[in-house]
Amino acid sequence: MAKERIKKDVVIIGAGMAGLTAALYAGRMNLSVLVLESAIVGGQIANATGIENYPGLPNVSGKDLIAALQSQAENFGAVVDEFDEIQRVSLKEDPKIVETEEHIYEAETVIIATGMERRKLPLQEEAKYAGKGVHYCELCDGHLYQGKTIAVMGGGNAAVDAANFLTKYADKLYLIHRSKLRADEASQQKLRENPKASIMLETEIKALKGSSKLETVEILDKSTGKTETLAVDGIFVNIGVAPHTELFKDEVELASDGRIIAGEDCKTKLPGVFVAGDVREKEIRQLTTAAADGTTAAILAEKYISNKKRGKILW
Amino acid sequence: MVKVYSLTTCPWCDKVKKYLKSKGVEYQELNIETDDEAFKACQALTGDEAVPVVTKDDKNYVLGFDKAKIDELLGL
Repeated sequence: MAKERIKKDVVIIGAGMAGLTAALYAGRMNLSVLVLESAIVGGQIANATGIENYPGLPNVSGKDLIAALQSQAENFGAVVDEFDEIQRVSLKEDPKIVETEEHIYEAETVIIATGMERRKLPLQEEAKYAGKGVHYCELCDGHLYQGKTIAVMGGGNAAVDAANFLTKYADKLYLIHRSKLRADEASQQKLRENPKASIMLETEIKALKGSSKLETVEILDKSTGKTETLAVDGIFVNIGVAPHTELFKDEVELASDGRIIAGEDCKTKLPGVFVAGDVREKEIRQLTTAAADGTTAAILAEKYISNKKRGKILW
Repeated sequence: MVKVYSLTTCPWCDKVKKYLKSKGVEYQELNIETDDEAFKACQALTGDEAVPVVTKDDKNYVLGFDKAKIDELLGL
């Protein structure tokens, strides 16, 4: 059966902070808006346990913040579809084509807000222990380590916040990081004051060992060059993120790190195609800047559509 | 009755539940963090401790959100 073709003013790819903010703004401007998400609505912050730096909200979980934002966008007519996966995009055409498993969307504008995904642990044994001691989701798997010993790998905000959260379950937690911590001072302080936590800097995990489940990790102390074996029941990997841009690599210009190149106006080189949030090449990537990008992209998308209707394609 | 072994905090569990709802599938939710019997049953079924797990007959199951496999398991 032929797929149904549906016209949309704005198709937003990705339902994280940037995508949902764009959906809210575009919906309020009476545009027809579709948001497509193949993974988790909320993206990276869906896993955040306590966000303390979103203006006006002293402490909010990622889940609650995103649920409120999704509902706010849907109240203005935006539709969020998290089950109809994208198969291909063609952004150089007019209208732009976004083909999913079930539909062909013809869009006046496309806002790419696909965000980032966690990097996998770059060790050969990762596949053997994935889900059997090596984890990437604290909220999903933290409960498995009640009263046990675990390690968190990484030194950014996500890693330190994950470590703070996991001490709720674990009796002993090691934070292992190859250099200095990059997390906010407030989060670092909280972890330093936690009697269950030990922070190991200038260290790297070089090998994973265990029979059917992870039992020990080999740690290299970079300052001394010595290796030691640490008994752990599990590790949670938080060693950074990689941009989700595979779908667009032949369509838009990518930076060397894989992010999409666009200015502060979120415009790519393709008329009608915007990029918003962490997937845009920029220095500062925060929830607030993702929301700002979503706002900018939606307002300029409306302007583009409005000019186009009057016969002017301004880009 | 379809069973979903899940956790309150797990985003992929939410996604599985939303998917089943979108397809009109009625299910029984079993929280493995608060229900010890459910935890043991889930572990016995999969030999693992991860969720979400969807099963209809307590023999065949799908671990994680895999739309194609869930469709096949439940005949959707």
